[in-house]
Amino acid sequence: MEPASGRAEQLRLQIAKAEADLRELRLQLSQVETSQEHDPRDQSSHSNVPPEIVSPWKWPLQQQEYERYARQLILPSVGLAGQMRLKSAAVLVVGAGGLGCPAAAYLAGAGVGVLGLVDGDIVEVSNLHRQIAHSHTKIGMNKVDSLAEYCIDLNPRVNCVRHVTPLTPENAAEIVSKYDVVLDCTDHPTSRYLISDACVLLQKPLVSASALRTDGQLIVLNNPPAPQGSQDGGPCYRCVFPKPPPPDGVLSCGEGGILGPVVGVMGVLQALEAIKLVAAGPPPSHEVPAPSLLLFSAVGTPTFRSMRMRGRRSDCSACGMSSSLTPDALKSGMVDYVLFCGVRSPVRVLAPDERITAAAYSNMLAENPGFAHVLLDVRDREHHAIASIPGAVNVPFSMFQRTDMGGQDGTRPDWLPESLPPDAPIYVVCRVGNDSQVAARKLKEMRTGSEHRFIGDIQGGMEAWKKEVDKSIPFI
Amino acid sequence: MVPKPPKGHFNVLYFASASSFTSMESESLPAPLPLRKLFETLDEKHPGIKAKILNSCLVTVNLNYVDIPEKDDDPDQVTIEEGDEVAIIPPVSSG
Repeated sequence: MEPASGRAEQLRLQIAKAEADLRELRLQLSQVETSQEHDPRDQSSHSNVPPEIVSPWKWPLQQQEYERYARQLILPSVGLAGQMRLKSAAVLVVGAGGLGCPAAAYLAGAGVGVLGLVDGDIVEVSNLHRQIAHSHTKIGMNKVDSLAEYCIDLNPRVNCVRHVTPLTPENAAEIVSKYDVVLDCTDHPTSRYLISDACVLLQKPLVSASALRTDGQLIVLNNPPAPQGSQDGGPCYRCVFPKPPPPDGVLSCGEGGILGPVVGVMGVLQALEAIKLVAAGPPPSHEVPAPSLLLFSAVGTPTFRSMRMRGRRSDCSACGMSSSLTPDALKSGMVDYVLFCGVRSPVRVLAPDERITAAAYSNMLAENPGFAHVLLDVRDREHHAIASIPGAVNVPFSMFQRTDMGGQDGTRPDWLPESLPPDAPIYVVCRVGNDSQVAARKLKEMRTGSEHRFIGDIQGGMEAWKKEVDKSIPFI
Repeated sequence: MVPKPPKGHFNVLYFASASSFTSMESESLPAPLPLRKLFETLDEKHPGIKAKILNSCLVTVNLNYVDIPEKDDDPDQVTIEEGDEVAIIPPVSSG
């Protein structure tokens, strides 16, 4: 077995290297080709023009473009004028994940001239159920490179500009200024406020979408992109959500979960809004629709709801009349997005003697299998159902966030076995050891059972359990 | 479909984290209710929801965005009437 697996590994490395070389060559070729096409002097040398055409091409689009975009060219909402606008437009997609992949793919397909992609992350296996431009062979690759490759493969006429970096206050204005429309496909409140502020300052319309679990939101912001302080512009992100959610309430897709098609729907809708915006041309050539927030719920009825929004807030701290937001303030870091949105500080609610390591808990049970105690698993039901410590009772953490969870008056809560002696200890375990501390503290405050009862948590949660006790257990 | 609210009530729809917190998609509450009393009324039913969820939420009444008046003497007073549909929409930031 050994020599065979060594050979397989060697082959995998060779394939990965050959694929990386090929990718780089394709990207270089596409850049050479698109720069040729944008230079009118080189039109005749374009290899795609069939040799039999001798008279000079006199139509506004290239012959291949009429074929490629035929199905959308014949729509009244696009037409030749719309296609020309798409071709001369530069669209920026911030975030090359679940929203950015479908959004960029449809924008590339529709033939935007320049497609900018911004992301500093690399492709991971847990991305692949929803981030459709990435693939198994691209694990470990920059998301931007992977998405650019996908888009160029789809439509080599698009000039894909790669920004392999997260968007930061320092680079935001410089990057955003090169584009006509921006799509916010990111995954955190800090980037949402940052992108919105940059778009207000640089007067760019912003197509913002988000998705978590089975819900999605879509809104076109700063449209029309009137100057800062003008009440004629569309609302910005701060007009809609002036206060960020508390940091401990912000869930990532990793923590909260996400259904692939849900984020896919939202990304596709973003591309649609951007295409409509670009193809229609700048106002006043068309009427800007009143701002609305579209809510998508995969499990609710109706599936879509459209909420009528108001215009700009006159007192908005970004686009309002007395706003102090300036390009310098943004770039110099005077607007502290991390501070504004708050940080999840490490939870230190329990004292060291109220905590037990996963290994110590496991050893204790091994030495005394009949040991009377309760182990509470405070993760969500789904997490608990996937894999849990034998004997653990599931009481989801959301129960502990409510001030009316029962048992406050010293009565026995439902989940506590009646047969349990009042001084038998209660251990709490969660995913990584934060919620468990908060839950244990709450249980102590509720004073269930005898005052001598030990209530504490398993330090490091299921992550530590996997590391210290059972390496075979799936950890999500 | 969310059922019509019973006589003398209005419906509240909970989206995203508001739905997770309350463990419900919607519920009916007695109408009329001044809009400025909405958050405290919901906090009584779902202790802790104001600080955790509502303060950063967007609120609509009958699909229209509304500002929650901050003071009792705010000139912009709205009353939630019988049969109205109120939506609690927290910002979703991931994607």
